[in-house]
Amino acid sequence: MASQRDILVRLAHVSLFYEGGVTALDNVSLEVRRGERLCVLGANGSGKSTLASVICGLLSPDEGEVELVGERVCASGAPDLAAYRRARRSLGLVFQNPDDQIVTTVVEDDVAFGPENLGLPRDRIAERVARELHRVAMDDYAQADPSRLSGGQRQRVCIAGALAMEPAVLVLDEPASLLDVRGRSAILRVMGRLAAAGTTLVHVTHFMEEALEANRVIVMDHGRVALAGTPDEVFAQGEKIAELGLEVPFAARLSQSLGLPWTCDETALLDALCKRGPAPKTGTDPAPRKRGAAPLLHTPASNGLEQQGCASPLLKVEHVSFAYGRRGRALEDVSFEISPDTSTAIIGQTGSGKSTLLRLLCGLETPDEGRVIVSGNDTSRRRGRRAARGCVGYVMQHPERQLFAETVEKDVAFGPRNLGCAEEEVARRVTKALEIVGLAERCDVSPFKLSGGQRRLCALAGILAMEPAVLVLDEPTAGLDPRGRAMLRSVLANLRERGVTLIQVTHSMEDAARADRVIALDEARLVADGTPREVFSRESERRLTESGLGIPRALRVARELERRGWPPLGDPLTTDELVEMIRRDSPFISLGR
Amino acid sequence: MALRIEIGQYYAANSPIHALDARAKLLCALAALVATFCVSSAAQLAAAAAFTFAVLVASHVPGGRALAAVRPLVVFLAVLSLFNLFFVQSGDVLASLGPLAITTGGIRAAVLYTARFALALVLGSLVLLTTTPTQLADAFDSLLSPLSRIGLPGHEIAMVFALMLRFVPTIADEASAIMDAQSLRGGAFDEGGPVRRIRSLVPVVVALLASGLRHADGLARALDARCYEGGAGRTHYHEQRLTHRDLTAAALTAVFVLALALLG
Repeated sequence: MASQRDILVRLAHVSLFYEGGVTALDNVSLEVRRGERLCVLGANGSGKSTLASVICGLLSPDEGEVELVGERVCASGAPDLAAYRRARRSLGLVFQNPDDQIVTTVVEDDVAFGPENLGLPRDRIAERVARELHRVAMDDYAQADPSRLSGGQRQRVCIAGALAMEPAVLVLDEPASLLDVRGRSAILRVMGRLAAAGTTLVHVTHFMEEALEANRVIVMDHGRVALAGTPDEVFAQGEKIAELGLEVPFAARLSQSLGLPWTCDETALLDALCKRGPAPKTGTDPAPRKRGAAPLLHTPASNGLEQQGCASPLLKVEHVSFAYGRRGRALEDVSFEISPDTSTAIIGQTGSGKSTLLRLLCGLETPDEGRVIVSGNDTSRRRGRRAARGCVGYVMQHPERQLFAETVEKDVAFGPRNLGCAEEEVARRVTKALEIVGLAERCDVSPFKLSGGQRRLCALAGILAMEPAVLVLDEPTAGLDPRGRAMLRSVLANLRERGVTLIQVTHSMEDAARADRVIALDEARLVADGTPREVFSRESERRLTESGLGIPRALRVARELERRGWPPLGDPLTTDELVEMIRRDSPFISLGR
Repeated sequence: MALRIEIGQYYAANSPIHALDARAKLLCALAALVATFCVSSAAQLAAAAAFTFAVLVASHVPGGRALAAVRPLVVFLAVLSLFNLFFVQSGDVLASLGPLAITTGGIRAAVLYTARFALALVLGSLVLLTTTPTQLADAFDSLLSPLSRIGLPGHEIAMVFALMLRFVPTIADEASAIMDAQSLRGGAFDEGGPVRRIRSLVPVVVALLASGLRHADGLARALDARCYEGGAGRTHYHEQRLTHRDLTAAALTAVFVLALALLG
């Protein structure tokens, strides 16, 4: 039994209702102990963010009792404001968007803001600022302007700002969901260090992979605690978790489909596989080549590159260079062609020039050198740009931030109306676009009332109503929960079937592996271009790693197995392919299922 | 990205102007600004230009950054100078075209008023370039404290001002993204008559307001979480202390103001 003093947060039968009868929390009870790392999982709208606000003393529930850091702040729905104020001094919060949390234009001053509000003397503030900036590895940026830092760096400044108040509990509400891969792993590293140092953490997320390190996991659904326990206990209930709109970690999915003992640890999975693996064949080639092994795999013969002969390219990028002002080049001598009716993934680190490339493709920028030709029109001319805009639809990052109309229907109709379409034509296009994204039934709702995933689909419909031949998307799934991502992916697949050419920037190598073609950028230059199989081939793996990019997880597992002495597995790009290959080689495992 | 607003953005450097106490800097700037606006002769203009140049050099701010403050107002300055050129009718007539006449007085006014306005803008932007929003807020806070004593929200005004400066680039980036997105959907910002142009801005403004509200929500949450409860009980990380530097700055500013008065 933990002593009373070790329980920092206690919620008993807490319920909270928003206007319009929305139940955000429904009879939630939980405790957080000192030094614990609790992970709160849930899809969007499951109440997990509300729970975070209640835990850090920013929202008072309508029913139930709340005790925060020894203060009884809320008894049967009646808040004690003075107690809340005292409690808040020992509670820290970091949430999604670093832009909203940084209050000044110098990193150091921002970290000092909290301690200043606590009324600490100057020398102690200075001490804490230096200590916390060091802890998040931002010492060198003390004097920097946050708006010039990357998203991950800014979020680390926010964490330092919260830690400088020396909170007894630090609540992190989806701290990494708007960040790229590198930013996210930096945040997770910082959290790991904090947990190791004994900081009490409450981490809210919809990425189950981030929850693996936690001591305890609770899964929220419709305002209730649906599952609770250690990560292993919770994640073992794969089907239930999928029902709740979450994604099972990769290793767990793989172990389940191979019929192996359940695990979410990739190394443990590899060990288990190797133990039961195929009987080692004598004289196995130590450096296994592709022995044309994979009859199960589709050869890439039918892919976009080979079609260039028969169909003229829709988009042509010829030796394009581009720079913003006098700062370094954003793109340097990039050339490629895109054939109609293909899908292309553009991969690369933040700052490698991906977004700039998209802006050039849709005629928002014109190249400093070289040419961009969109279905025969050179975008360096005004007329060519206009033609390009008629043919290319551009879905920016977070397109839902651009919604403005009173209803979904009116927002989607904005484009066709501007084109001067007749009312029947506008109605036809709107209906069709909303049908494709699956929002036909919600056309009279305000776009601001939709869920995050639906809002993005609504913005997408607004661009589809322009009936573009090419759809260019900048990280279309960023910041969405698994359910939203799945919805978006199925809409994109549907568009491919309708013959829309897709070009998308993505951070997910799994998404890239599903495209017909992959283009990799690094520091403004094109470093790889080909089918996923070519780009993720053994020969170019090192190059990708140097560019800070990885390979699809299935492929990584396959290569690791080969390194441990499995016969060649071909180059499986998806989990399904990998499972098939492993089963073919290992009868022991296929029996398991 | 395309629309990078540089006005009012702090330029980090280690200069004597950066090192000044923000209160002293604000008061000196105020005095110099008022004096600059009173410039009415060529000699005074030269003195004001020399003073501005000296401050610019001492601040280590690149000339381009300081001039960026003037750039958005170039059209306004040009109109102002044309206005003066044609409407100030004094001195000798140099040329005339129908009812319009260009006089020496007109030229004088056109150059003088435009130049002093530009100088004042550069001086003002130098204050913002060399002072962080936090320092500005603290300085305002301290200078406005007589207001707080009589019950007016001096501290809150200062805080709002600092937050406004902080959010200018964020909102500007969003505005440019929204305008890009809408122009790709056929929104015509640079086509048609003034009525059409203004109407095409409505969706931008609405989207921007929505995002402003979202930021406000987030910011409120952040301020609460970091225990911001107004000025009372708050300490300051940066000490505000007047040093000999500030005295020197005040003395130099006084010399400048006096010089202008003597030259007038």
